[in-house]
Amino acid sequence: MRFVLGLIITLSVALVTGFGASYLALEDGRLFGALRIGSWAAWPSAGSGSVDPYTMAFLARTGRLQLGRSEGLRFTAWSDSGGTPLRRECRYTIEGTTPVAAMWTLYARAPDAAVIGEPSRRPFVDSVNLARRADGAIAIHVGPGVRPGTWLATPGSGPYALVLSLYDTSVFAGLGATLDALPVIEPEGCE
Amino acid sequence: MIRYSMWALAGLLLGAIVHLVVILMVPAVAERDVWAKVSELDAVERIRLIPSAVVGGPNSFDLDPALIHAVCQLDLRDGPGELEGELPASFWSIAVYQPNGTIVYSTTNRAASGRRVNLGIFNPALTRLLAEQQLEIEEGLLIVESPGDDVFVLVRLWPEYPELAPRYKQMLEALTCRVLR
Repeated sequence: MRFVLGLIITLSVALVTGFGASYLALEDGRLFGALRIGSWAAWPSAGSGSVDPYTMAFLARTGRLQLGRSEGLRFTAWSDSGGTPLRRECRYTIEGTTPVAAMWTLYARAPDAAVIGEPSRRPFVDSVNLARRADGAIAIHVGPGVRPGTWLATPGSGPYALVLSLYDTSVFAGLGATLDALPVIEPEGCE
Repeated sequence: MIRYSMWALAGLLLGAIVHLVVILMVPAVAERDVWAKVSELDAVERIRLIPSAVVGGPNSFDLDPALIHAVCQLDLRDGPGELEGELPASFWSIAVYQPNGTIVYSTTNRAASGRRVNLGIFNPALTRLLAEQQLEIEEGLLIVESPGDDVFVLVRLWPEYPELAPRYKQMLEALTCRVLR
């Protein structure tokens, strides 16, 4: 009896930790392979020739066409600066600076990779079509209702991610750009 | 109690093994990998636009809705692959992928000379011929070496304003993508 109970403990611990760790590692790179800065996570090695097993599994699972190393780097955030998961019914302000890049884009992505937005508006913000503050910093309002200034609409409800793609960025060159320069996602309450 | 914590410890070790097996097995069991999805676009030796992601619609390649994307599949067993043509002065980038989704080579408009694109893709055997000067190639051809025979090329192009998108799509479709036999 004791043996059976012990075996059950061993197997359940093995299954929970084995599959749990795999899920966490692949879902958003919480454990390995990913570069994490604040709420943002990226898979820099995905675009290079040498790919580690975690990145390989991540690529196979998502089937996505990731950016090559010289093309740029794509950051995904599933939570705000306080670590609370992002929700469509909540309002956020994305503030701060972005690393040096030829251009960047920001959009909201549902868990199934669908793009979130109002059908009548462009569902993204980019580095050109954007109102900046006097000091050059960005302030993008994200939320379900109309907001003043630059607004990224997130109608509906449920969790989502913000995707910030930096194209032709000098992040890897180590010159002129620091990775601390990613903007922060400040929560502003929910509807 | 101590006896059960030993069982739990064994479980943790077994869990670590399960985790490693899962991570290593995922690429082998994933059904719809990038190659399978690109193959559905009928882009063998021709450039095909990937439909832009619309709000709420599927986005199976997880692409940036702000950009226009075109793809082309090449089989290098028959000869070197070539991507040739002209692109606008906006931001664009090109990446050469292996079937498993890893990238062999990538570049952007900043690294290219002018707006012209002239990319040659060679497998190891063709690269050897190239080194022995047994292959005639054009001057100014950018040489990309691929470890495998199956590759696909993805071109990303950024229309700064929505009005530019139709013209940019035409320019993408006008690119030549073929195998030189």
